[in-house]
Amino acid sequence: MEAISKSVVKNDHTLKMNGQALYVDDHHIDGMLCGKLFRSVKPKARIINVKLPELPQEYYVVDKNDVGGKNQVHIVQDDTPVFAGETVEYIGEPILMLVGPCLHEVERLLGEIEVIYQEQVPVLDMEESDTVFFQFGFKKGDIDKALQEADHIFSQTYETGYQEHAYLETQGIIAIVRDGRLTVRGSMQCPYYVHNAVVTATGYDKDQVQIIPDVTGGAFGGKEAFPSILACQVAVAAVKTGKPVKVVFERQEDMEFTSKRHPSRCHYTVAVKNGRIIGMDIDVKYNSGAYTTLSLVVLQRGIICASGVYDIPNLRVRGRALKANTVPNGAYRGFGGPQTFFAVECLMNNIARQLGENQLVFKEKHLVKQGDGTSTGGKYHWPVPLPAMIARADQLSGYRAKKEQYKNQTGRYRKGIGISIVFHGCGFTGTGERDIIKAVVKLKKNADDMVEVLSSITDMGQGIKTTLGKIVADVLGLPLGQVLVVTPDTDIVPDSGPTVASRSLMMVGYLLMKAAERLKAQWQSGVEQVVEERYKEPDFIIPFNADSFQGDAYPTYSWAVSVIELEVDTLTAAHKVINAWGIFDVGVPIDLNIVHSQMQGGFLQGIGYSSMEQISTNEKGRFRNTSYIDYSIPTAVDVPNLFTDFINNPYPYGPYGAKGAGELPVVGVAPAYLEALEQALGNVSLNKVPFTMEDIMTVLNEVS
Amino acid sequence: MENTPIEFNLNGSQVASDAKANERLLDVLRGEFGLAGVKCGCKEGECGACSVILDGLLVNSCMVAVGSIQGSSVVTIEGYRQTERFNVLDRAYASVSAIQCGFCIPGMVLASECLLAKNAQPSKEQIRQGISGNLCRCTGYNAIVEAIDIAAREGKGLW
Amino acid sequence: MVNGYLPASLQQALEIRAKEKVIPYGGGTDLMLAADEKAVYLFLNKILEIKTITIDESYIRIGAACTFTQILESPLIPSILKAAIQVIAAPGIRNVGTGGGNICNASPKADSALIFFVTQAKLRLGSSKGERIIPIREFYLGRNKTVLAGDELLLEILMPQDGLNNYYYQKVGVRNALAIARVSFAALLDVQEGRIKHCSTAFGAISDVIICREDIDAMLIDKTLAEASALKAKYLTSYDKAINPIRGRVSAEYRKKVCLNLLGDFLASNGI
Repeated sequence: MEAISKSVVKNDHTLKMNGQALYVDDHHIDGMLCGKLFRSVKPKARIINVKLPELPQEYYVVDKNDVGGKNQVHIVQDDTPVFAGETVEYIGEPILMLVGPCLHEVERLLGEIEVIYQEQVPVLDMEESDTVFFQFGFKKGDIDKALQEADHIFSQTYETGYQEHAYLETQGIIAIVRDGRLTVRGSMQCPYYVHNAVVTATGYDKDQVQIIPDVTGGAFGGKEAFPSILACQVAVAAVKTGKPVKVVFERQEDMEFTSKRHPSRCHYTVAVKNGRIIGMDIDVKYNSGAYTTLSLVVLQRGIICASGVYDIPNLRVRGRALKANTVPNGAYRGFGGPQTFFAVECLMNNIARQLGENQLVFKEKHLVKQGDGTSTGGKYHWPVPLPAMIARADQLSGYRAKKEQYKNQTGRYRKGIGISIVFHGCGFTGTGERDIIKAVVKLKKNADDMVEVLSSITDMGQGIKTTLGKIVADVLGLPLGQVLVVTPDTDIVPDSGPTVASRSLMMVGYLLMKAAERLKAQWQSGVEQVVEERYKEPDFIIPFNADSFQGDAYPTYSWAVSVIELEVDTLTAAHKVINAWGIFDVGVPIDLNIVHSQMQGGFLQGIGYSSMEQISTNEKGRFRNTSYIDYSIPTAVDVPNLFTDFINNPYPYGPYGAKGAGELPVVGVAPAYLEALEQALGNVSLNKVPFTMEDIMTVLNEVS
Repeated sequence: MENTPIEFNLNGSQVASDAKANERLLDVLRGEFGLAGVKCGCKEGECGACSVILDGLLVNSCMVAVGSIQGSSVVTIEGYRQTERFNVLDRAYASVSAIQCGFCIPGMVLASECLLAKNAQPSKEQIRQGISGNLCRCTGYNAIVEAIDIAAREGKGLW
Repeated sequence: MVNGYLPASLQQALEIRAKEKVIPYGGGTDLMLAADEKAVYLFLNKILEIKTITIDESYIRIGAACTFTQILESPLIPSILKAAIQVIAAPGIRNVGTGGGNICNASPKADSALIFFVTQAKLRLGSSKGERIIPIREFYLGRNKTVLAGDELLLEILMPQDGLNNYYYQKVGVRNALAIARVSFAALLDVQEGRIKHCSTAFGAISDVIICREDIDAMLIDKTLAEASALKAKYLTSYDKAINPIRGRVSAEYRKKVCLNLLGDFLASNGI
């Protein structure tokens, strides 16, 4: 174990433990108004007329006409409106906000608003979409030749469903106008994204807008872009009324109308020759929902991962993000990776099965190694410790032996075991760090020698406030208590980029380490000193060209081997995880307790994604599962101990060798789960998640 | 009808609420009594973030109409954190970094107290049963179960 | 208080129930989902007369305002009822939820009601004018509809004491806690001197009401296990025709298959 990995008490433990940590809904400001959004009930329509009730004093309607700047929320592109313009594109699209002193009265007034719609024909199934928001593709080698030369060709389609973040704290924003300045605070991952969006929507100058992330009760990507939308709406309301405005979503509202993980359909045609895969022809479709938001980037990551951890010499990958008149989908831990990794891992199992080969041995035959080219013509520059990780996973789980043991089961309860091998590309895709983010960090040493860490990275529970502080303290040789990681208030901190893409520790932590090294060299006790550090792209990176889609998509990769052992009750189709193991390479864990906990949390989200977490839609495109009652996430009695372990593999451009960790654990769970189910159900071939009890019962009926 | 106040004991003090009897205890605690440590996660009794201790038992305060607690005693995290048992749980949770986003934690801590009060030496399975009504989306529950197990062992004689 | 009454005695409660338009509130865990702001609740949670569990010559008598936790912790309660209550929601709900509320909410998914059905429990209903005792199987008119009169309260559940040892119970939900039943099944088989003295089954969560078919179960009464085995196919076929689940969060086909699977397993586990 590296010295830095030794666990410390988290610096936000105490306030959260004793209930004193204040989340956005805990803040009350004198004269504050409550707001609630009025939403479209049609999936696609033109708004003909909005008939408002008479408003009592102090109650206001806020809509597109009150937007002082542009009626656009900048999320990569600008098609998301602050308030609906002439049309609505999904059930739930905000048309206006009603604000007033009493929430109860606000709700009553909302019920009296009448909207006349001219209904248009919605597209509710991505397969019927006529709008391709984004299309990307890339090639490697000559896939058509490979398909000709193949002695076997396999074809399979895989589907993944929605996933809802179900963070315990719902979305919430407060906006306050005071002395010509606009302050927006709330639950969020990316204060500078919010800053940018609010400036555009309100027309305020950059230095007139201040964004403060409050203590954030979980996010998982759900608060990466969405808060920008809500922040614009609340800011416009605060500007119009001149009063502080707070909007906090109810749980059902949050579940029904905020962004979700993109559902996907991936089709693979695979050329096999002499027992080896020589080519893959892959078509990826992601359901974007009604607006683009983050679909461009999610799709990019998804197609980059589409050939998995395998060295495939001939590739053709095409990806499309398709519009549907449903809630716009967005970031969720894994960010497009879980979908295509699900497909390729299941595919490998399926091909092995059809060739009569051992599934893991078949996968091992194709694993990439250090020095190999990536799917996009980049390079695996750094060690790929997969063989050691697989060995460790097998040692802990007994995967190989159990795979044999669980063949041909009879009886009411049947077991299965599954393994998956995945990576997560660390940081922003392509040249984002260099060309778009251009991260800046600062260290400010006060005269009393307290060191303040100034970055825009937010702690949403993942412990970054502690780990960044730990890095700086360790470099400077200071006790932890002498380093203060300040709240990322945009008035105070520079733009170090968003808290996304598993970049915070690796990228921003590295910059802080460099800054601390410089501060240490220049240290003058009793004097105020400021050190700034800016991102510089490492030389080894093969630049990524977004048009040709060639180059290093990521500087490095974190790796994961996941094993799931489960049991199916053939009478009821109930299925339960009996054991789960995850072996992870995150470079070097900066704090073992924190990183173990992150792995376990992500793993459990993956288990939910595979089984009990399901969102189905009715014939109007409205979600059916919109509360904790209907959208079931695992409780403490739904899963046994999750065993997580690390293999150290230091990355020279990460602080103390650390790489990205946050998203990695969720990426490979679904295919491992499905392989285990396939075995338990009698060595069948399955191709979708979530695979629910109903789905299992259908298979059991067919098999018997 | 005149609204007589609803009297109950809150964190050791006698209080009187002017709320209507059909209002959620959760809303009364957060609103009228300003106790921000009682969190609202769902208002459906499905997440446990709003858990409080009512007459010694764990309850979801969103599912309790305040009129039903006349004469009862309520303990929230604000009251519980004054106790020695809390200190033991505090050290245990800190030692395994069991807290991530923290939103489930006030409810989870009170659930920890209630399960240990019933069974001072619970098995891991019994711990999981005791917190089965408290959802956590961040941790995967491992570290929380570990923390409660440590507290049970360290809190000799307290429970 | 406004919008609520907190009577200290049963008599007081019944008087208010007769006079005012009130909603009886046991634990609140169903009522507070909607939390109707116009509701006027009659809080029953502090009326000790309906919070006791006793036993007499014939019945186990469970006060309607006993909480699930109380019921679980009572040594007088048979295992079959504890088996169902243990898997209701989670501790926080069980600490305030009541058997009376579970029954009167009249959901076919009610976990404890299923057990009261299969054990053919009786309900003691009371008003300021008097009392009546009816079998629980006559209490329901349909989903969320009961024969409880506007001035009545459910006071007590009377469970038979005997013949409850050999039971079969399975709740099928999407997860192990905080789960509403998608299918639930309970069954009793009392075999004495090689003959089936009593056979009772109940299916919950699959229709508007809990399904009990005494007429089909009667097929096995007074038969030896061997004779019952010979009748098994006919028994299962009868239930195949009788069970017509409705679609809910899961399909009717799924529900039906699970019901018949569990029924078959119940028989098989008893040597039939």
